[in-house]
Amino acid sequence: MLNKKNIYKRSFASFCGPGKHQLLRISFFCLFLSLVTGAILLLLLGKNPFVAYTSLLQGSGILPKLRYPGRKSQLTDFFNLLNYTVPMIFASLSVAVALKCGLFNICVSGIMVLSGFMATVLVGYSDITSIVAKILVLLIGVGVGALVGALIGWLKYRFNMNEVVVAIMLNYIISYVVSFFINTQLADPVTRQSVEINQNARLTLVDVEMFGLRINITTVFVLALIVVFLIKFLLDKTRFGFELKAVGVNKNASRYCGIKVGKTLVKTMIISGALAGLAGVTYYLGSYASIQPRVVPQLGFDAIAVALLGNMNPIGCLFASGLIMIFESGTAYLSSRLGVLREIAALIISILLLFSASSGYFKILGNKFKLELGENGGRNE
Amino acid sequence: MNNNFVELKNISKVFPNIVANDNVSIDVKNGEIYAILGENGAGKSTLMSVLFGLYEPSAGSIHIKGEEVKITSPLDANRLHIGMVHQHFKLVDNQSIAENIILGIEPITKKFGLFPKINIKKAEEDVALLSKKYHLEVNPTDLIKDVSVSTRQRVEILKMLYRDAQLLIFDEPTAVLTPQEIESLLQIIKSLRDSGKTIIIITHKLDEIKKIADRCAILRKGKLIDVLDVETTTTKQMSSLMVGHDISLQIKKEDNAYGEDVLRVENISAKNSDRVQTLNNISFKIRSGEILAVAGVSGNGQVELADAITGLLDITEGQIYLSAKEINKLDIRERIEEGIAYIPEDRHNVGLLLDFTLAENLCLKQYYQEPYCSDKGVLNFEEFHKTSDQLIKNFDIRCGEDGYNTVVRSMSGGNQQKAIIAREIHADSKLVIFVQPTRGLDVGAIEIIHKRIAKLRNDGKAILLISLELDEVMSLADTILVIYNGEVQTIRDAKELSKEKVGEYMMGVHTHAK
Repeated sequence: MLNKKNIYKRSFASFCGPGKHQLLRISFFCLFLSLVTGAILLLLLGKNPFVAYTSLLQGSGILPKLRYPGRKSQLTDFFNLLNYTVPMIFASLSVAVALKCGLFNICVSGIMVLSGFMATVLVGYSDITSIVAKILVLLIGVGVGALVGALIGWLKYRFNMNEVVVAIMLNYIISYVVSFFINTQLADPVTRQSVEINQNARLTLVDVEMFGLRINITTVFVLALIVVFLIKFLLDKTRFGFELKAVGVNKNASRYCGIKVGKTLVKTMIISGALAGLAGVTYYLGSYASIQPRVVPQLGFDAIAVALLGNMNPIGCLFASGLIMIFESGTAYLSSRLGVLREIAALIISILLLFSASSGYFKILGNKFKLELGENGGRNE
Repeated sequence: MNNNFVELKNISKVFPNIVANDNVSIDVKNGEIYAILGENGAGKSTLMSVLFGLYEPSAGSIHIKGEEVKITSPLDANRLHIGMVHQHFKLVDNQSIAENIILGIEPITKKFGLFPKINIKKAEEDVALLSKKYHLEVNPTDLIKDVSVSTRQRVEILKMLYRDAQLLIFDEPTAVLTPQEIESLLQIIKSLRDSGKTIIIITHKLDEIKKIADRCAILRKGKLIDVLDVETTTTKQMSSLMVGHDISLQIKKEDNAYGEDVLRVENISAKNSDRVQTLNNISFKIRSGEILAVAGVSGNGQVELADAITGLLDITEGQIYLSAKEINKLDIRERIEEGIAYIPEDRHNVGLLLDFTLAENLCLKQYYQEPYCSDKGVLNFEEFHKTSDQLIKNFDIRCGEDGYNTVVRSMSGGNQQKAIIAREIHADSKLVIFVQPTRGLDVGAIEIIHKRIAKLRNDGKAILLISLELDEVMSLADTILVIYNGEVQTIRDAKELSKEKVGEYMMGVHTHAK
């Protein structure tokens, strides 16, 4: 009996224990756990989990579907996946950068709404040339996000206000102020959302004719990739990244060695805010083209768990975002094919996010088992 | 039945990569004071943690009064009448002394026969009674945060007695006390023995063992070296057994003439983060080639003094000059660049970034400038590694096989301290501030650090040494400054002061006589 228990411990310890790429291995373990839990749920509903998971992949364009309607193919689905993934990449990077500095930025949603709104109002309805408009939209996203981030950072630095409380309040303020303007000035009478922006300002090219297909092409996916590597470079190789991480692990020691802790906090929040702003414009002026009033995007909160799943590593965030969005965009196909509610996919995502939020616990557990086993080994051998 | 209270038989405790206890067997007789002597890392604390139920032994057995027992938690230990005073007190600051003592086994009455309520009156009476019985004077209603360190220690002792402990374990009990307080603690321990308690005391101070212990076990590198009868052994024999070779803690200092004033502090006052006045009108100066040692009981403003000079704490009044340049308006980094090196008291929370690598920690004071960082702000890790290799070699920093990539958290306390000292000395500053540089380190490491300090002095640096260890102050200082309640009690040439005299100043005895 004891031996059997040991086998479990040993295999867990060897998979999640200390060593190279421990965090990455734990992330995979979380994914595995949630897929297993999801499979149990599906079995309880009398559905074949294998079919369910393949249909998620088919729905998101990773695997080919059985048949496609006219002018659509796997490529269309895949481009849609990229289109929806871009905002998540920016949002999770925003959370990750702040977390590295010991800050918990839950204002991503609020910043997204504000930057999306500002870009919509300032550029969305104008007739500027397409390329200029798109660049302007991105700049506005960065600018608005950075300003809000700076405000949060400054409040923390100057008045020692808790950034979480400030962020929650800002989410409300932004959401209500923006919905006031949308409802009174910009509302589309049919959809009750803001009026759709003009195509020239939209970051996603809609229904582009290509290979006889109609494809939505996101123009900013490459930018997202570049930003991922820029942030990685910033964190790993630069003086500012060093200071940011130092403040994140120990403010006293950072102060002791001459780092200006307050300034570092503010700068970090500016970067985090700018990234959230990019998430906002790519979401509201890319994946979508209008803003729904009085709703803050769920994506901004999911980004927290995605950043954790990606271990606060920019590359990790990239892949974690992709993974989550595969689930999200495969949902429709899953529910129509298996006749289950759309919520089942949402449930699996939530389970995954839940497990990834507990990755810290798995790490401790892995280390602990390794320690215990090492000890026993010492005694037996 | 034999006369042994506790027998540890063939205890081994293995951690990954390290054997903390290797087949150690000791027996402690009823009613004796049993000392356990050893360097840091010799396995004294581990052995006692095994006895107190904090660790499970990897092998071996524990026998209490002849019967084999399993102790898996401190609760078991309590049930077996074993109590322990830890090196760092485990007390709740904002509770009263009585509340702390009864914590976990509160006397309960039922109000209206229904609602359980802590009978604090009874607790206070019990504590008062207990404190009278054992001559451990405390006022049960005082809050812990308002009482002195020695009172806190008495509270810890009372806590054990309240739980009816028969075997009392003391882990380095004198580390934080003044000479006078140590004297009275030793008296207390003796009288506890005389009233029938059995006592184990962990220490590396030989003279204390000589004064009170009956027998003494010596551990070295996890192994039991010998059990000695204290009366027939000299401290010299003990120390060479403990370290494995003869050592001398006497520092050879050349008589050198002091140079120019390096640090001049004029009438500074400061408040700490709770807005309590912690420094009051302090003035002194340190010349190059001089070691100025600040003696004082813990919490009398020493840390704040160091923080004020380095810029971590803002001063409210006064001026600080470094080589005639006023520095009290400069920020922390500017002061470092002017030439202040600082080895802080709290090496885990201030001196090091524990989750960073050794290389990053060794370059923590220079990482932002050439050659470690280009002017565009890109770090050059090659340079980090070069400097690290050099420092690791020169200062004999023992890190794992990962070398400079070792995460500092995984290194031993002594090596962490060596890393800080290596970094600060490498900066080649005019003024070096040491705060408690040898706390928690073993005799071997202390010797190395003391030699480093003496060498720095002989090289013409100005040194501010702040220490709670009076022996350290006495053996290193050229000039002694005694601080009490944030005020300077006296500044004198070290040769004019005896250890006892310094102790009196530390207690503030001369405050009113002045």
